[in-house]
Amino acid sequence: MEKCIERPRNLCSLHGALDVIGNIYRAIPILHASPGCSMQASSRTNLYYLGGYHGLPSSNAYEKEVVFGGTQRLRETIKGSLEIMDGDYYAVLTGCSMGINGDDVDSVVKEFEASPYPIASIDTAGFRGDTYTGYNMALLATVKKLAKKTKTDPRLVNIYGQPPSSDITLRGDLEEITRLLARIGVKANTFFIRRDGIEQLKNSGNAALNINLSPWLAKNVDTYYKETFGIEPLRFNDWPVGPKDTATFLRTVAERLDLDSDLVEKVIQEEELYVYEYLDSLFGNFERHRFILVGESAKALGLARFLVNVHGHIPLAIIFTDSVPKQYQDSIREEVLKLECPRKADVHFENDVWEIEQLAQKYDGRVTLFMGSSYEKKLAQKLGSHFAITSNPCLDKEILNRSHIGTHGCISLVEDLYNHF
Amino acid sequence: MNKQIPDTIRDKHPGFADVQVGSSGELREKAQAHCLKNAHRTFEQGIQCVQVNSMNALVSLQDTVMVIHSPLGCSGCASFGAIDRLNVYKHHRGRDNAPDSHVISTALGEKEVILGGEKRLHETIDQAVKRYNPKIIFILASCASSIIGDDIDAVAEQKEKEYKAKGKDIIFAPVHCEGFKSRNHATGYDLALATLQNYVIRDAHPPKQKGLINLFATHSLSWADQQEMKRMLNAIGLDANILPYNATYEDIMKIPAAEYNISVCQIFADEYIKFLSEKYGTPYAVTNMPIGTRSTNRWLRAIAALAGKEEEAEAFIKAESDAVREEVARIKRKTDGLRACLTAGTGRGFAAATLIGDYGMKLLCMHTPYYDEAYIDDFKRLEELHGTDFIVNIADMQPYEQVNLLKKYKPDVFIGMSNWVSRLGIPSFHILDSKRPTFGYRGVLYLGRKIEDALDNNNFNKNLSNYSKNAYREEWYKKDAFSYLQLPEEN
Repeated sequence: MEKCIERPRNLCSLHGALDVIGNIYRAIPILHASPGCSMQASSRTNLYYLGGYHGLPSSNAYEKEVVFGGTQRLRETIKGSLEIMDGDYYAVLTGCSMGINGDDVDSVVKEFEASPYPIASIDTAGFRGDTYTGYNMALLATVKKLAKKTKTDPRLVNIYGQPPSSDITLRGDLEEITRLLARIGVKANTFFIRRDGIEQLKNSGNAALNINLSPWLAKNVDTYYKETFGIEPLRFNDWPVGPKDTATFLRTVAERLDLDSDLVEKVIQEEELYVYEYLDSLFGNFERHRFILVGESAKALGLARFLVNVHGHIPLAIIFTDSVPKQYQDSIREEVLKLECPRKADVHFENDVWEIEQLAQKYDGRVTLFMGSSYEKKLAQKLGSHFAITSNPCLDKEILNRSHIGTHGCISLVEDLYNHF
Repeated sequence: MNKQIPDTIRDKHPGFADVQVGSSGELREKAQAHCLKNAHRTFEQGIQCVQVNSMNALVSLQDTVMVIHSPLGCSGCASFGAIDRLNVYKHHRGRDNAPDSHVISTALGEKEVILGGEKRLHETIDQAVKRYNPKIIFILASCASSIIGDDIDAVAEQKEKEYKAKGKDIIFAPVHCEGFKSRNHATGYDLALATLQNYVIRDAHPPKQKGLINLFATHSLSWADQQEMKRMLNAIGLDANILPYNATYEDIMKIPAAEYNISVCQIFADEYIKFLSEKYGTPYAVTNMPIGTRSTNRWLRAIAALAGKEEEAEAFIKAESDAVREEVARIKRKTDGLRACLTAGTGRGFAAATLIGDYGMKLLCMHTPYYDEAYIDDFKRLEELHGTDFIVNIADMQPYEQVNLLKKYKPDVFIGMSNWVSRLGIPSFHILDSKRPTFGYRGVLYLGRKIEDALDNNNFNKNLSNYSKNAYREEWYKKDAFSYLQLPEEN
């Protein structure tokens, strides 16, 4: 990485890969790594099928394997995994030590070619990058291994671009976007969480359209689907949050899939009215805030657009914490400039907690609403500001199925913005 | 720098094993004959590492910064776990506004792995000083940093000189805790305490302070447990400084001044306490974790014997036993004769196994990560309670074996980390609790009530078992639980 980071909120490339594989129900990650990777690199990922990191197959390589090679340990581990672990897809991932020592992991994995189960080999050794690197790597490798095309389904779409663990309302968000598309007759493959994730991946070659919600991630996946199955990517810069952006989202998808516009408009009207029934019930008790938002680009942009363009708050600053490469930063700044308020927010790309605190000090006395992760909670208090959690990590509470996107999600978000003290 | 305490690993302990299985009697007899050898699991699941424990032992110290010299992954437990655990502790102590711990990752990437990461380490340390000007900066090694050969000792020495020349008296304390260093992750604790001695205390030789007792305890203790231990010590006219959790620099510098050293269990700080006895002549007692009346009484009696407070201890034990007798007896009417399986870290496991004896339960099998000739007496004591036949699975979790075994045994209750056990519908609960008392007499009641609750209402597990399955093939359950364990003769 470019520089040291205090209290990271994203981890290494192995973390990103475990995040992908672990969130696919009945996918089995197999670690070729030293002790500790299973525990640390799986932090905040969803290994509930395995029962947490304790259930994660791992070669647990010690000094002997570092010095003399660990391929025999890997072989035993893969063999045992296929025999004991009940999965439909297996992915061999590496940790730093087994990535540095030169083990030919691909060759060992190839020895198991005859297995009835698909097994991918992904060189995710932690130092190769961060969570986002791992996400890109593992999603592409998984799609390459599993996706097939039998016959294009004109009403099927694939949705991706969001690394699972860095969306604190992931399950709710995936459910909400699935629900919205279903209302206009479109079936969405979201791959993660649902128990038919692997079936969705296998079937994903039949999609008529790919929806990538990130301004910079998973472009490798866009390219693969296009070149292999002819599926066009429809790229958004963010999640659709609130009635306006949900309407745009549904119209855009409908146009691309050539859907009946009457049905789409009817659904949009109903969804918009749903939101305003709730906003109206606040008896005009609208508490206008001047806000700072700290979070990943796809989610933060979506939230900011709702907060400013629909709900009517003043944006002071947006701090993007995902490792957005320089070549994409300008287009993200453009998006912030487009927010419908003459006062333009400051834009920063930063994920170090101390640096973020220094940046935020500038707004002391002006900011009234601070949104971010649990790391920002104390900072919000210091600045005398109301705090609402919107970003990774959420260490304060369990979030199960609430969403922050679409129409149902923006209402949940609004609930958090009202401070009765 | 001439280290007073050289780096050692617990693997060298006589009779050390982290992979073994047998009845308690069998394993103990082998250990007594000095022929207990480590076995080999061909299939393993995830385990903790040395670095996590070094991190946990040191991250909470006040006015320090922890630099983790590694790619980002090795900050997972610190960033998402340890700092917040400290926040919970501070909250319980009414110290919400006390400063957070600071963890900075050097965030090594491919470039650093190829060309070396020492420059990045220098830069990171400079940031730590600029931001916080701490008293101590810990530098933790990782698998990556050690394989690529970064010399954290040399960097520590350079930085100390560099900052001294600028008038800053900062201690730079490296810890060689790379994950693959030892098969026993408790080594991480030893390395952390050795670092405190080698780099912080150094040659300090403070005069003995009458009445000062060091109580070495792990990060996994709740404030409630600390309070219970203090309560018991106060009742016999003693008091203790609990170390090193959230300790100040002054607390650390006073370690050699203690009149006595005691520990919360037989593993944490055992080697460091022996060193303190050799170097500073401090008498010590290393016993067992005070969970359950039997283990609590043993713990208290060992400390009382050190300080000549035997009479006070007996009076206290009698009073406390009387106070809990009725409720324990009441709960025991529900638990008597129940068959239990247990999973815990070594120290906590032994103690928990005695607690279930308090409640009349019979131990069927025990999962614990390590065997060591030093635990022979502990196992003997358990055998007095539960007989010699209970299975001891020396395993750092390995739920694939546990689930297989539990499906065959069908115990009435399971104690330990229970994600996979809940799915079997068996009544279960954790013995580890970072908020409530599990130690001493308060713990006896708290845990007893917890067991009673788990037995009285098992609806969560029962219903869950209809909708959730563990990630193992049906064929696996038909095989012997230890099919993947190669015993030494076969190696």
